[in-house]
Amino acid sequence: MKKKSWILYSIAVTAVAVVVVTAYSQENVKYVQDSAFKTKMRPGAVFLHDEHNEKAEIDDCGTCHHLYKDGVKIEDETSEDMECSECHKINGNPVPLVAKYHLRCKGCHEEKKAGPVMCSECHVK
Amino acid sequence: MHDIYNFVSGTLVWVSFILFTGGCVYRFVSMAALAKKKDPVIYEYMSLRYALRSIFHWIIPFGSENMKMHPVFTIVTFAFHICLIFVPLFLFAHIILIKESWNISWWFLSDSIADVMTLIVVGSCIYFLVRRITQPEVKFLTSISDYLILAVVAAPFITGFWTYHQFPGHKFVGIIHILSGEIMLVAIPFTRLSHMIFFAFTRGYMGSEFGAIRHAKDW
Amino acid sequence: MAEPAVNNTKQITDEGIVRGASKLTPEKIERVINSVLKAETGARLKTYVDICVHCGLCSEACHFYLSHDNDPRFSPAGKVKQTIWEILNRKGKVDAEFIKRAAEIASTECNLCRRCAMYCPFGIDIAYLLITMRRICHKLGVTPQYIQDTAHSHSATINQMWVKDDEWIDSLMWQEDEARGEIPNLRIPLEKEGAEIYYSVIGPEPKFRAQLIYQAAVIMNASGVDWTMPATPGWDNSDMCMFTGDFEMMARLKKIHFESAARLKVKKIVMGECGHAFRSVYDVGNRALGWKMPPIPVVHSIEFFYELIRDGKIKIAKKYEKPVTFNDPCNMVRGRGLHEMGRFVTNATCEKLIEMHPNREHNYCCSAGGGVINCGPPYKKTRVDGNRIKAEQLFAAKARGAKTIIAPCHNCHGGLEDIVHHYGLDMDIKFLGDIIYETMEKPE
Ligand code: HEM
Ligand code: SF4
Ligand code: SF4
Ligand code: SF4
Repeated sequence: MKKKSWILYSIAVTAVAVVVVTAYSQENVKYVQDSAFKTKMRPGAVFLHDEHNEKAEIDDCGTCHHLYKDGVKIEDETSEDMECSECHKINGNPVPLVAKYHLRCKGCHEEKKAGPVMCSECHVK
Repeated sequence: MHDIYNFVSGTLVWVSFILFTGGCVYRFVSMAALAKKKDPVIYEYMSLRYALRSIFHWIIPFGSENMKMHPVFTIVTFAFHICLIFVPLFLFAHIILIKESWNISWWFLSDSIADVMTLIVVGSCIYFLVRRITQPEVKFLTSISDYLILAVVAAPFITGFWTYHQFPGHKFVGIIHILSGEIMLVAIPFTRLSHMIFFAFTRGYMGSEFGAIRHAKDW
Repeated sequence: MAEPAVNNTKQITDEGIVRGASKLTPEKIERVINSVLKAETGARLKTYVDICVHCGLCSEACHFYLSHDNDPRFSPAGKVKQTIWEILNRKGKVDAEFIKRAAEIASTECNLCRRCAMYCPFGIDIAYLLITMRRICHKLGVTPQYIQDTAHSHSATINQMWVKDDEWIDSLMWQEDEARGEIPNLRIPLEKEGAEIYYSVIGPEPKFRAQLIYQAAVIMNASGVDWTMPATPGWDNSDMCMFTGDFEMMARLKKIHFESAARLKVKKIVMGECGHAFRSVYDVGNRALGWKMPPIPVVHSIEFFYELIRDGKIKIAKKYEKPVTFNDPCNMVRGRGLHEMGRFVTNATCEKLIEMHPNREHNYCCSAGGGVINCGPPYKKTRVDGNRIKAEQLFAAKARGAKTIIAPCHNCHGGLEDIVHHYGLDMDIKFLGDIIYETMEKPE
């Protein structure tokens, strides 16, 4: 009897912990997400924002959250408050936007020879 | 890992595309030249109308007497060939890669449909294999190369399915997937898979002989 | 279960094959094979061998395969495997034993009937591959004796049956005489320049079946057509050289045939009810001479009869009563699409036509054509055992009432006779000419 309730107790605590942790970590991005993607072909790419940038030594937010005007990148201005799809419009065809995301992530990984490059490395099930 | 990946998904892609297209063009041109030199009858007797008439009957399911005699085989082979050609050309992941590299894209299949189609290809290959082992008339004609070709064709689909579903070792299998796809592509012009290039011509020639000269159907 | 076929285990005893092979050396075999492959084959052979996916789908096309309980050694591609594939793989380095067996397979276990080309999804021409094997055997001097004898006759006398020039003319005059008993004014016009029709037959007609010339003369006279027959060599349209692989001689024969018709300035050649001869004149021999289509239009009897009846030149007095079935000869049907005309003539002359199945382009070969019956007694068993399926097909037609088989082809006739006899079918076999002769209104 004693043993059984101990197990139940552990399960309950773990469950609570998981919920709490998940809720808090919304702060630190875990997946690449964009509301423009209505149906998802694959799970969102795993992306731990802060850890990634620390490890990759990226300080300038504009590296990824860039802002263009008339085809020219505006230095010193960034776009963290926007979704990529606000500029890279999807117009019914997700391919160009997906390719943009890929080029941003994978393109850099390939260039730096660091980080994941194959489908299953990012889109983890 | 990056070096291997870059190699198989960069350099080797180019190598395989060049060998595939170059190989197909080479096989076609050299065969056309050989025909001109040694089998000029082909040019004399090839008739567009009757060639198309025959091809038409042989590319629609149950269009020929023989297909009606082997309904299971017919369904399998049509499903196999359709999936075999559609999946690689219209897979979302392939389209994206092409878009990234060359900024061109086209219509794509949803991943769940592609998944089923992949299984159809693999299942068909198993069917072909079993047939090869169990049917005396097929077994008699079979050599090692036939098994190898089946393996070469099945491999990209098995490995693709594997990485997509992220079964154990999927990263490694992913590399094998790309590699095996390239091998298959290169194998097309240089093995029996060259039937892709020549089907229309052998069928068309027989159709022309039967249609234009012999006034008979050949299906 | 597939039991080993008799002739795959039995000793090869054919004189022509045995003696020819005894003179071979490995060097000669290799040299001849490679010279034929190099000089005479090209894109077709290469493509056919390269793309065959070894799927076995051609198997059920072949009566030999079906008649041997689906023994794969008799499937079309199976026969190519034992011949052409093997010599290609071994680059011509095969021994005399191999050549003996290859000669037998190519010459006696395939009728070049081209049914398999309609069953292979790629349209691979197995008959072409196997005739290429015969060609190699011919150049090696390894050809079954009986057919080689007819080929010798062709080269010595320009006919298949050692008929001498005067014997030919005698036979025609004899038949003219005979027929005059029935139709007093009947003529077999010899050497009539400018006639519309040049009528040619195969060697065996004057030799064994002179009655057919008689009947043809009656039909020609009754229909009032302007016709002639030559008094010179060239009258024989048959061609066993096409089947032994002696293509040079084939071309010579066709040249003499066409030239004799050209000399008489005729409008067209009408030929008797023979399948292989039609193939030779219409499809193969003309090509060997460089003519895409025959230089003088060639009409097979089936088509000729069809026109006569359609145009009312022949009237039918009383239809043939016994129910008939129609055996589509490969060379007339897969070779010229005359199946509907054949049925038109049959329906016009017979009370009842009961189809055998399969029919038209899909009919099974009789197993006599392609020179197989001409390989003579040593291979009669091969041929008859190799066509049990034909017997089954005929039994089914018989069960539905057919009593007579119409076979507008000499080889079919011979082959079917043996099949009917061996399997105890008890059916009559007739040419269309026989039936027309029997049922037509004859002039007084
Ligand atoms: C696009 C044109 C193609 C056509 C018209 C075509 C047609 C055919 C045909 C008629 C067959 C014969 C037997 C059967 O129906 O299965 C066949 C078999 C086969 N084809 Fe294709 N094919 C094409 C492309 C390909 C390609 C691109 C591949 C692979 C890369 C392929 C792989 C195979 C295989 C493996 C078989 C053999 C099946 C067995 O083992 O029996 N085909 N094809
Ligand atoms: S006999 Fe006819 S079906 Fe059989 S292999 Fe020869 S050509 Fe093909
Ligand atoms: S000849 Fe045609 S049907 Fe026969 S095995 Fe080859 S590809 Fe298949
Ligand atoms: S003899 Fe008759 S059935 Fe046989 S191959 Fe010739 S035409 Fe065909």
